[in-house]
Amino acid sequence: MARGTLGRRVYLAANGAILFFLLAPLAVVAVFALNPTPFIQFPPVGVTTRWFQKFFASPEFMNSLWLSLQVAGAVVVLATFIGAAAALALARGRLPGSRVLTALFLAPLMLPAILTGLALFQVFQLLGLGRPTWALVIGHTLVAVPYVMRTTLAVLSDFDRRIEEAAAILGASPGRIFFEVTLPIIRPGVIAGGIFAFIVSFDQFPISLFLVTPNRETLPVVLFNYMKFDLDGAIAAASMVSILLALAVVVLIDRLVGLRATMRI
Amino acid sequence: MSTRISRRAALGALTAATALGAFGRPHVARAQAPTLKITTWGGKWGEVMKGEVLPAFEKEFKCKVEVDQAFPYLPKLQASAKNTPIYDVLHANSNEQWRAAVDGLVVEKITQKEVPNIKDVYPYAVSDKIAGVTIFTSAIGLGYRTDKGLTPPKSWKDLADPKLAGQRGGYQIPVNSLGQSHLMLLGQLYGKGMTDLDAAYKALEQLKPIKLVDFTGQMEKMLLQAEVVMGVIHDSGVYRYDGQNQPIEFAAPAEGVLSLEQVLNVTPGSKVKELAYGYIDYMLRPDVQKKLAEAVWYSPANKDVKLDAKYDAKLYNTPEKVAQLIQVDWKWYNERKDEVDARVARILRG
Amino acid sequence: MTTRISPVAWLAAPAGLFFVLFFLLPFGVMALFSALDGNPLQRPNVTFTGRNYARILDDSLYVESLLSTLKIGAVTTLVALLLGYPLAHWLARMRSRAGHALLLMAVIAPMLTGIVVRTFAWITILSDKGVVNATLVGLGLASAPLPLMYNELGTVIALVHIYVPFMVLTLAGVIGRIDERLEEAAMSLGASPIRAFLEVTLPLSLPGILAGSLLVFALAISAYVTPYLMGGQQVLTLPMLIYQQVAATFNLAFAGALGVVLLVVSIVLVIAYNHVLGSMARREDLA
Repeated sequence: MARGTLGRRVYLAANGAILFFLLAPLAVVAVFALNPTPFIQFPPVGVTTRWFQKFFASPEFMNSLWLSLQVAGAVVVLATFIGAAAALALARGRLPGSRVLTALFLAPLMLPAILTGLALFQVFQLLGLGRPTWALVIGHTLVAVPYVMRTTLAVLSDFDRRIEEAAAILGASPGRIFFEVTLPIIRPGVIAGGIFAFIVSFDQFPISLFLVTPNRETLPVVLFNYMKFDLDGAIAAASMVSILLALAVVVLIDRLVGLRATMRI
Repeated sequence: MSTRISRRAALGALTAATALGAFGRPHVARAQAPTLKITTWGGKWGEVMKGEVLPAFEKEFKCKVEVDQAFPYLPKLQASAKNTPIYDVLHANSNEQWRAAVDGLVVEKITQKEVPNIKDVYPYAVSDKIAGVTIFTSAIGLGYRTDKGLTPPKSWKDLADPKLAGQRGGYQIPVNSLGQSHLMLLGQLYGKGMTDLDAAYKALEQLKPIKLVDFTGQMEKMLLQAEVVMGVIHDSGVYRYDGQNQPIEFAAPAEGVLSLEQVLNVTPGSKVKELAYGYIDYMLRPDVQKKLAEAVWYSPANKDVKLDAKYDAKLYNTPEKVAQLIQVDWKWYNERKDEVDARVARILRG
Repeated sequence: MTTRISPVAWLAAPAGLFFVLFFLLPFGVMALFSALDGNPLQRPNVTFTGRNYARILDDSLYVESLLSTLKIGAVTTLVALLLGYPLAHWLARMRSRAGHALLLMAVIAPMLTGIVVRTFAWITILSDKGVVNATLVGLGLASAPLPLMYNELGTVIALVHIYVPFMVLTLAGVIGRIDERLEEAAMSLGASPIRAFLEVTLPLSLPGILAGSLLVFALAISAYVTPYLMGGQQVLTLPMLIYQQVAATFNLAFAGALGVVLLVVSIVLVIAYNHVLGSMARREDLA
């Protein structure tokens, strides 16, 4: 660990600056959420809880928050299964053109979400299916699966197969190897993908615009609609609440599973 | 083990069945009530609609109203099948209603026969420049800061004052109908009329540098933050800050104000047309009009609405004031929208 | 030498089915409608027409906006990489558990702000009367506000801000798995820390760089909300045009055509990039 202190200082300073860049807008949002004025003003002129009150007192906001959480939960489960399975297949299945397939699975992220939403809506209308809630889950899952695939693939890419080979030599069946050796090792990648999936679904907005039904709208849709008409601190309060909620989820996962594991094998 | 049913169990089951039946009956009746699918804005308007206006309508007309608040609406209507439209009533600004009418997605003309209260509205509400029925309108004029030493603007041309360079605000024309109306007005101010696009383009060049936003809420914020000191905005956007002591004011230029209409129309494929017309009629009732007008500072289309004094003073609810409203030809504009958008993009790109 | 497809390949079936049903099918329908002269759900007789595609080729506005989209995507990706790598390195090598958790939360928090709110926050920071300019002008460091918004610069800044966390989380995983002892070995053999980094860590993190930049590029070229709110009229990317066509001009068929063009070009680029960097990464594999 013989790093020159100058080098270390530059390293820390650079990272500090980048961190500042990341968090500066959050500070502005926090100010907007607490400032009495109905528009963003920096520096703030006071502190008020009225925007938070407005947010929590509104049944529309609360219902949509709850719906967003439910949808995100369903999306995490669905996307994790589909994505992790696909990653295993791509890494181990010796499929022809797996390189191309991996790139193709990224396609849902490359299409502007407004078109994805419109296309899904159109097909559901064609089939006479209306706009059921599961359509919303599917729309979100579509853009969440690529993330799970990538993080799982990343873990699989430098997976030391010899661990599995050793287990086989010691007499374990392929099924047992899979559940007791392979899965635990790729679990951090899958969980990291699951966190991505949650964030992506909770924050997803253009696809939701097309697939939500009256009175069952997700939080970003309600916020957008509110904002087009009433651009005030309530949207910032909603933002802060979302951040705190999701951070709580992340901390919970850390307690249960240990997020450090997601960063290394 | 005996399978005899004890008296208590039987009594319990009977009670439960009756209770469920009690819950069940109104539910069953409700399931047979017709459903009206409409669209509406959010914010304060949405609050009043969902909180007061719609529940009262549902009660009186014995129906259920489903409200879609996820903008944009017309693409969804376009993507749904013609005989099972996703909405029965579309609430949109005039430009969008015209586009829908041309596509055959809404009926082009509604008369007193379908909506009796039409007999009480101002002529602009059902003029030939409107596809559907106008229920409210706002006036588009100039908003300005009162604390920056500006003389209150008297003409639309004041926006082009060189002193305001970089401090004036307008809209992204492809996506905002206020911007589109303003462009057509430029043709009238500086050229031969609203269809004189060449004059309009030239005038637009003269307005550079100008800060452009997507929707009116952003313009309000820019004025409040003094990011611009004068901008094109509708009166409602300024008046809604009434009582908050903000240093902004609305000016109605001498050449007239452009009208920003809230228009309702019915889809031809709707299965509840009677109910749909009934809804439009309901929205034109004086008491409903008064409630909404005063909530968001819109000018009511019904002549017989008696507004409270402070609203009465500023909104357009007399024949004289209403005569100042300029309506644009959206049918004409929509036909050439793409060319205009492309041309404007080039002009403003720098 | 038989490279038989392993039975494990069947695990891709759910994803494949999901993909075909909910992406290829809707996209296919949209592409089909873009070649028709009307919506078959609305009008009974529609015929094929190439006019939407002809229009894209005719008017240089669309090609220009495609190029603008790719350029902004590339610049955003590069900057996100430059900013994301140091942060990822710090996160991956952080020893304290609390520090790690805090840093992770700091990286994740911006992702949950919500696209619209966070764009408004940037407007507050970068606009003429915003935080940056007010500070610069107030301190006398600038005589007039710097144009940081309503142009490509503002758009890129805001986009980079959105995508750096994605880059960091992708990279941190890969960097975290690089055995630090390899660096230490290099340094004990006499290499400076910088050289150890350049010749050991950096090449080993290439798979992460590839994955991260691919992800950010894909996301950046489909973004339209941010360029819209930040770029004023100066920036006109293809996704923005698509948005305009759907939500303001209401020409769904043309929007679909633009979407097809964007997707096809993007997929080709991504496959090429994947191929090039992928073979670079493979060459760097240590035994």
